[in-house]
Amino acid sequence: MTTPAIPEGVERCSTRKFTLGLAVAGAVLLWGVYAMFLIWFKGLNQTGMNDAYGFALWIWADLAIIALGGGAFFSGFLTYIIGRKELSSIINYAVIIGFICYSSALLILALDIGQPLRGWFIFWHANVHSMLTEVAFCLSCYFAVLTIEFIPLVLENPKLNRVPFLHHLSHNMHEVMAVFAATGVFLSFFHQGSLGGVSGVLYGRPFAFREGLLIWPWTFFLFTWSAAAVGPCFTVLVTWLTEKITNKKLVKQEIFQLLGKISGWMLLTYMIAKLADTFYWAMVTAPSKGFTLMDFYTDNPVYGIWILIAELVICGIVPALILITRKGRENNFLLAGSMILAVIGICINRWVMILQVMAAPLLPFQDWFMYMPTWQEVATTILPVAYGVILIMLAHRYLPIFPQEKELNPGS
Amino acid sequence: MAKKAQHTATKRYGMVIDLDKCTGCGACMVACYSENNVPFREDESDKMLSLNWIQVFKVDNQKPFPDTEVCYIPKPCMQCDGDHVGHPPCVSVCPAVATDYDQPTGIVSQISPRCFGCRYCMAACPYHARQFNWWDPVWPAEMKQYLNPDVSVRMRGVIEKCSFCYHRYQKARNKAYMEGRDEIPEDEYQTACAEACPVNAITFGDLLNDEHEVHKLSKGKNAFRLLERLNTNPKVYYTTTKDWVRRITDNYLENETPGDVEKARKAQKASH
Amino acid sequence: MKIDRRCFLSLVIGGAVGTTLTPVPWKLTDDIAIWSQNWPWTPVPEDGPSKYENTVCAMCQGGCGITVRKIKQRAVKIEGMSGHPVNKGSVCPMGISSLQYLYGPSRVKSPMKRTGKRGEGKWEKISWDDAIAEVSDKLKELRNQEEPHKVACTADSDRNTVGYLFDRFLAAYGSPNFIRTPSSEDANELALYLAQGRNATVGWDIENADFILSFGVPLMDSPDSAGRMFSAYSALDEKAELVQIEPRLSDTAAQSKRWIPAKPGTEGVLALGLAHVIVKDKLYDSDFVKNYSSGFEDSEDEDGNTRKGFKSLLEDYSPASVAETTGIDKAKIITLARDFAGAGRPLAICGRPIVQGSVDEALAIHALNALVGNINKKGGMVAIPEPDYLGWSEMQRDETASKGRQQPRIDGAGTDRFPNARHLLHRLPEEINSAGDKAPLQVLLVAGGNPLYTIPDTEAAKKAFDRIPFIVSFSPFMDETAEYADLILPNHHFLERYEDIPTPRGYAKPVTGLARPVVDPQHDTMHTGDAVISIAKNMDEFIREAFPWDDYRDFLEQTFSDRWKSLEKEVYSVRKDFTPADWEDAFDTPSKKYEFYPTSRQMPPDSERDRLPACRPLEIPGDGDSKELPLLFVPYVSVRIAEGAIANPPFMTKTVDDTVIKEGEVFVEINPETAKENDLSEGDSAVLKTSSAEARVRVHLFEGIMPGLVAMPAGLGHTAFSDYISGKGENAYSLLEAVSDPASGLNTGWGSRASLSRA
Ligand SMILES: Nc1nc2c(c(=O)[nH]1)N[C@H]1C(S)=C(S)[C@@H](COP(=O)(O)OP(=O)(O)OC[C@H]3O[C@@H](n4cnc5c(=O)[nH]c(N)nc54)[C@H](O)[C@@H]3O)O[C@H]1N2
Ligand SMILES: Nc1nc2c(c(=O)[nH]1)N[C@H]1C(S)=C(S)[C@@H](COP(=O)(O)OP(=O)(O)OC[C@H]3O[C@@H](n4cnc5c(=O)[nH]c(N)nc54)[C@H](O)[C@@H]3O)O[C@H]1N2
Ligand code: SF4
Ligand code: SF4
Ligand code: SF4
Ligand code: SF4
Ligand code: SF4
Ligand SMILES: [Mo]
Repeated sequence: MTTPAIPEGVERCSTRKFTLGLAVAGAVLLWGVYAMFLIWFKGLNQTGMNDAYGFALWIWADLAIIALGGGAFFSGFLTYIIGRKELSSIINYAVIIGFICYSSALLILALDIGQPLRGWFIFWHANVHSMLTEVAFCLSCYFAVLTIEFIPLVLENPKLNRVPFLHHLSHNMHEVMAVFAATGVFLSFFHQGSLGGVSGVLYGRPFAFREGLLIWPWTFFLFTWSAAAVGPCFTVLVTWLTEKITNKKLVKQEIFQLLGKISGWMLLTYMIAKLADTFYWAMVTAPSKGFTLMDFYTDNPVYGIWILIAELVICGIVPALILITRKGRENNFLLAGSMILAVIGICINRWVMILQVMAAPLLPFQDWFMYMPTWQEVATTILPVAYGVILIMLAHRYLPIFPQEKELNPGS
Repeated sequence: MAKKAQHTATKRYGMVIDLDKCTGCGACMVACYSENNVPFREDESDKMLSLNWIQVFKVDNQKPFPDTEVCYIPKPCMQCDGDHVGHPPCVSVCPAVATDYDQPTGIVSQISPRCFGCRYCMAACPYHARQFNWWDPVWPAEMKQYLNPDVSVRMRGVIEKCSFCYHRYQKARNKAYMEGRDEIPEDEYQTACAEACPVNAITFGDLLNDEHEVHKLSKGKNAFRLLERLNTNPKVYYTTTKDWVRRITDNYLENETPGDVEKARKAQKASH
Repeated sequence: MKIDRRCFLSLVIGGAVGTTLTPVPWKLTDDIAIWSQNWPWTPVPEDGPSKYENTVCAMCQGGCGITVRKIKQRAVKIEGMSGHPVNKGSVCPMGISSLQYLYGPSRVKSPMKRTGKRGEGKWEKISWDDAIAEVSDKLKELRNQEEPHKVACTADSDRNTVGYLFDRFLAAYGSPNFIRTPSSEDANELALYLAQGRNATVGWDIENADFILSFGVPLMDSPDSAGRMFSAYSALDEKAELVQIEPRLSDTAAQSKRWIPAKPGTEGVLALGLAHVIVKDKLYDSDFVKNYSSGFEDSEDEDGNTRKGFKSLLEDYSPASVAETTGIDKAKIITLARDFAGAGRPLAICGRPIVQGSVDEALAIHALNALVGNINKKGGMVAIPEPDYLGWSEMQRDETASKGRQQPRIDGAGTDRFPNARHLLHRLPEEINSAGDKAPLQVLLVAGGNPLYTIPDTEAAKKAFDRIPFIVSFSPFMDETAEYADLILPNHHFLERYEDIPTPRGYAKPVTGLARPVVDPQHDTMHTGDAVISIAKNMDEFIREAFPWDDYRDFLEQTFSDRWKSLEKEVYSVRKDFTPADWEDAFDTPSKKYEFYPTSRQMPPDSERDRLPACRPLEIPGDGDSKELPLLFVPYVSVRIAEGAIANPPFMTKTVDDTVIKEGEVFVEINPETAKENDLSEGDSAVLKTSSAEARVRVHLFEGIMPGLVAMPAGLGHTAFSDYISGKGENAYSLLEAVSDPASGLNTGWGSRASLSRA
């Protein structure tokens, strides 16, 4: 008798339905891969970027998905280091989501350089003063950690697990997982921060520039903090979505609420720091260079002041306040809604810290710079989504990711 | 030999551009293309995709006819010294050390074979002095014939920018060395744009050397730099007698004047 | 051996791990990076010893000395030649860009014969022998039919050897139709001839003037002689004052100390208004006026009729009436006149761009110089004589030639209708298109100029060209006219050839420049001088004998005789014996004086004008139509856009702002007020309609242009040359109509009534 590939005791959809789903996601993936090869062969002229907009959609996507992938390190931190063992019911999924986010970010980075064949110069000829070097090192190391965390999960596939060597490997890896998780947490603090540093150190760009602590601008800390705050929200939202799609409860609601509560407090403290930072920047840093706050916003629809209000109030303070109240958390609609807002807020933050920086003119006689991504950029930015969906589909079908699934779905 | 003392090994090459003289003719741009093998394309009208190591802006005082005035502002790489010397905005961000600050001359280099095209330096430069090779360069027909062997041609996917015609410095330095001199006289190292400017609006030389004209000009009362308040410390200076030009070359709050801000900065510098 | 799954897996995994531990992948990664640093399609310029050679730039008439940097046989850079008297080390963007033409894709690489329809672009390469024979046979045939006058030739200059060779050829062959391409020099030359009686060009001694009153001369905007103009300007004394009269804040106006925007076309009226003040206030040079001029006061002519003098003419030009016409404040006119006359070395200059210009306007502005007594003085207006080397042995002519040469010119110049004019290229279409069935022109030799692009109203020009059975172009480049020719006999590029360059337009000392080959011919081209000599040698005996030289080089050496060696070495020679003639000997008019009233001026039969320079605002096509066409269209020139001889090379186009050309569309400049009235805003697409044509443009708002004007740069809208040059904007000239100055026939069609509406 052959071992079934699907984990024991759980129910999965029909092969037909599954294949159909794969095909849809695969088509989107292929579109992205086509665009990817166009870009690699023809160069970055395939994008809508220009000399004013050297950083654009991709860098934003990188920053955003890494922030959202932050759920992995922060849940790891909570589970293994703080010792909230109840979170182990979601940690596997957090790792997979993190793995998807980070591998995607690396892929996009490999696209986003003019000379991909020389990409490795960043390691070989590294300039230790560059935030991007820091990002590259930490990101790759943490990706390696995530891979190591992911492997034992893969090995738990019933078929693979039957191979004695793999079985033992998986078991032993589980034993030392806390060590890797701790390493990951450490690396994450750095690269999340370095990503914040990327724009914060640009002292020629008063919209981005922040003073700071030692060699790190305040954005360094703000980025780490915000990723820790919102990453778990994203993990919860993806889990939730998975539940809705599979029509099954996978993780206990208390876990969601617990993560919501932690995120809420993190978000609130982040918002306090972020408001202080914004206030200091608007009142001291920018004026010292001759700018008022409103010089950084314009009346065109993309770069209006609404963006600041949306980021700080609607997608910052509001969800934070909801999440820290028990009533808010216990209402499923409010819980999900505020998590969505928080996720949007962090994406806006990463957006302005890249695109608004590029767009705002510095010489008074210059105009705002404009940028429109090409379909190739859009396709390659959607590519990771398709790839993520596929990986999740496979993982969910073949790996025992959710320890509580059997317990929560006794009927099957 | 009291004179000898100021011939320090360290130079700070810089420029002073007289905006009252510049007629906007564009000879500096064309001379730079020709000297530095800057490629061109069929349509160059998207200025954010057009390689120009020096770009000449046309600005006006926004007053209605006939009180309108215009001024041209040529803008090469500012060769920033940075917020502390050797730390221009673009250099420390480069993850692969493909651009660097040359201590002996103060010139910010750009090494195309090292650059891998991440464009972080471009994001860091407030002057848009850095441009990217979005396309493979193409010289139609026999046009490759006119390429200057002293300046390597850049490939697709890397950043390029004004080098203060560094190859001319190397030539002048080699010549001086061969002739047993330590000093490069002012006229032996001139950039292609300064040389081509038909009205001599561009003066080039060592800002530290009081025998060089730029030394005096950069200290004149009408001298200033672009976006000085960002602390980028450019080595390209400008002069103008027009107040409105001063006001649109940096950012000022409503209640500030360029004069006051400059005074405050000088005072602060002195107190450090 | 049976390979099971486990074995396979371990092989693959083991292999991967093993390979990683070897140097192979690392070496490969490195090699790939090195490859990316040496892509074979990214050129590596060949190095070699570098050399500098001097020559003279021939991209325009500016005559700048240039130094060409060479690496082995490659020309790699053009720089200004220091010490050259004209440009003193300066160069303009066009001069620097000339290498793009030398090596560029628009070169005609060998003689070509048309195979498809005209303008279709289908060509066959032919040998030089065949090409010369083809032209010669055609010309012989026409001569055998006793119709030699049906040949015309256009050339850039009648003051250099190539121009002279063509003119000599036509003289020997029997045609009067040597047509010099038009320029602002035409009106100036004619005015100088009428007032001073000399066949000379006008030199403006700007370098030494201290008050320069420019009637719209685009000193800093013009691509013409930019090298000299910029070096003169930068050498001006700090205190020297430049006053620019122009309706648009051009780069010259921006550099001036006083910008006076007069209504366009009223400059001549303003000049007379200033003269009025100068005369009334007695600020003129009374010695000059009294002793060396005539026609200032009223007088009696031979028939005893009273003849109005210049002074009386000025009565009609009081500050008040001039203020009304020009739109300039009365007080400003009076101050300007006084400042001008009171300056140490005042100089009034004219030279309307794009057109030949109005002779009355030129006479009026020359008169200002006469009034302040600066004729032939330091810092003044100087008559530059024709080159002294262009005189050859008389030739024998047969009867066919003599008869043909005496026929009226095809362009009407020198006929009763246009008795004073010498060259009227713009009239060609009108003459050809209005002739009956028989084509008045059988052969057109285009040895200079690009008439199909530059003649106003391109459509009419094309129609006329369709009626010329045989068109030969000598252009080194595939320009619009060459594209439409039947045969192309491509000249060398100027860096590949010898050619004498006459005194640059406006330069105040006679200089001869010599362009000399710096590189070998890149293609199978021939010097046009050689082509003419070869054609002549194929013709009848009389003609053959008029061309006794072996080749052009031989001819050039003989022409310069003992001066050749030094000219070849120095690349220029300044006429040493030249000093501007004293007032005593300066004038060769019937009165031997400066004639404010040019007695030798012949008026066309139907003209109701007098010979005095009575200026009126220039005629503007479409004037009757001011409701339909409420605006005034004027082309403007920019030193970053070559506007005539040779289209803009890619380097220059690269410098052009995105408020001038964007994605192949040209912007017109209008005042924000005009924009509001016409419901337009920045960047809008619009249709520009003039009296003769319409074009699609975009709108750029500029405070510095007079409300009511629409300005467009000249020199764009090419359809030929190469993909790097064609398809950018609109040809300003195709939107204009030629206007023959009623007094002289010269083209004054510099503007048109227009409308601008959102597309
Ligand atoms: N490289 C290169 N250089 C060239 C040429 C070339 O083909 N290539 N061509 C040469 C030739 S042929 C010529 S003619 C020159 C042209 O050069 P110039 O004769 O020196 O004059 P433009 O440069 O055409 O001057 C244009 C200005 O005149 C203004 N204008 C328009 N209408 C009027 C008016 O009614 N009155 C006054 N006062 N101003 C008016 C416009 O606003 C505009 O600013 O350039 C020469 N230079
Ligand atoms: N659109 C437009 N039209 C204009 C003007 C304008 O500014 N814009 N300006 C007007 C004015 S001011 C003038 S003077 C006229 C000038 O007009 P033209 O003299 O008719 O025309 P250019 O464009 O100067 O023509 C020069 C042509 O000569 C060719 N050529 C270059 N070198 C040589 C050579 O060595 N030998 C031969 N045989 N050919 C050569 C080039 O291919 C070029 O196309 O145009 C008038 N028309
Ligand atoms: S101008 Fe820009 S590129 Fe040049 S040194 Fe300064 S920051 Fe760097
Ligand atoms: S684009 Fe090149 S020079 Fe600029 S930061 Fe990146 S590697 Fe360095
Ligand atoms: S200094 Fe040299 S490289 Fe820089 S703009 Fe001038 S010519 Fe170009
Ligand atoms: S060459 Fe001189 S005058 Fe011309 S644009 Fe450049 S700086 Fe200005
Ligand atoms: S002004 Fe004329 S002659 Fe002088 S460099 Fe320019 S194109 Fe050549
Ligand atoms: Mo002309």
